[in-house]
Amino acid sequence: MSHIHLPDGVLPIWLWVAGFIGAILVGVILSRLHKKEDLSRRLPLLGMMAAVMVLGASVEIVPIAYHVNLTVISGILLGPSLVFLATFVVNVILALFGHGGITVIGLNTLTLSIEGVLGYFLFHLFWRGLRKLGIAIFLATFFALFASTLSMIGVVSLGTSHYEELIHQDKDRGVFEFKLMKEKEDHLKEETAKGEVNLKRFISILLPLGFFGWLLEGVITSLIARYIRRLRPDLLGLGGEPS
Amino acid sequence: MIQLSYLDYSAVEGKSFLHRFSPKAKLAGMGLVLLGIITLRSLPALFSLYVILLILFFVSRVPIKIFPLTLYPLIFAILFIFISRFQIHFVLFIFLKVLCGSTGVVLLLATTPYPAIFSVLGRFLPSLFVVALFLTYRSIFILLNVFEETQHALYFRGGIQWRHPWRSLINISNAFGHLILKGIDASEKMYESMVLRGFKDKIHYKGD
Repeated sequence: MSHIHLPDGVLPIWLWVAGFIGAILVGVILSRLHKKEDLSRRLPLLGMMAAVMVLGASVEIVPIAYHVNLTVISGILLGPSLVFLATFVVNVILALFGHGGITVIGLNTLTLSIEGVLGYFLFHLFWRGLRKLGIAIFLATFFALFASTLSMIGVVSLGTSHYEELIHQDKDRGVFEFKLMKEKEDHLKEETAKGEVNLKRFISILLPLGFFGWLLEGVITSLIARYIRRLRPDLLGLGGEPS
Repeated sequence: MIQLSYLDYSAVEGKSFLHRFSPKAKLAGMGLVLLGIITLRSLPALFSLYVILLILFFVSRVPIKIFPLTLYPLIFAILFIFISRFQIHFVLFIFLKVLCGSTGVVLLLATTPYPAIFSVLGRFLPSLFVVALFLTYRSIFILLNVFEETQHALYFRGGIQWRHPWRSLINISNAFGHLILKGIDASEKMYESMVLRGFKDKIHYKGD
């Protein structure tokens, strides 16, 4: 609920290429942290949790595409490194259904995995401090989704000069465009300053929509954790301490 | 997500010329579509690409129920309209790019069985990643069955009613909790059977 699935062709090439490189690097480093046997033993669980996230993303809870990501609960159950790999897989599968672009799989993975990784650490931090499962999960989910939304806004804002170029391109003549270098877009900054691109409006629409989503997913994730605790408390790794 | 079963059915049972194309050729074709989306800068050119994809979609006799899946990303594209102060050229440009991308991938998945796609990907991606992709795809089908049963159970417990938002939230959460626990149980059984069949970090596809 915290993010939008960025489509193909909207962001500048240098940005999504950097996203791919970043996601691959993080993925390689995190997978090296696990022993190969351990990773291979946990692959079915990773696949299953990724499938749960895909199903969560496809169930529209409130119209206008509000859905739960279940990344925070997946992060708590899988741990920070495996949830990153699971998020990578989820974004590939979702891109194959047309739910988010193929070229932006790396960027979508980086922004979405912030929820799982940060959610895991925040949950353990709040749990240690509060000892209340529901509140700890709610706060962890809320802040993790907030951080993920901010990072998505950051990604979108990095492409400002590119949007400006797209807006003005109807004045140009030509069929193809291929710019790999960020520098080539810089001469458009003067025009950007004149302000055809309106990021403030984008943010002012996204944040209230996001806020409702963070609350909703926070509540749902807390209730899911409560359900899991009743039946399989060992999965949450709480050390058997009641609240 | 229910359209996923139609996608899979269409990919396996379809008999059109596009279904008979080799998966490698179709993946290369998808690569060309992506290249077009990234590099084309004129509206007529993008519109032509979209029309070609639409013609391929209908000529391939892909179930029409799948078509709305290609329109879904427009919901996210709408947010980009607010960036541009509603400039019609920019809006059309973004919409066409989004539609070309989504129609291309849905067409690929609706005409190519997923093991064939993963088999090609396995030649240049790390095997563990491809195994994770395969297991996720397989798990989606396992969980879809659980999900359908859970939906019936939810219906008997009142389902989702706007007049009772808290009860609805509890029902939704319990359904997801149930799905997660069933998924974890199924993953343990899946791993046992994979080891029993000699799984060693790689899934071998027909023709490997």
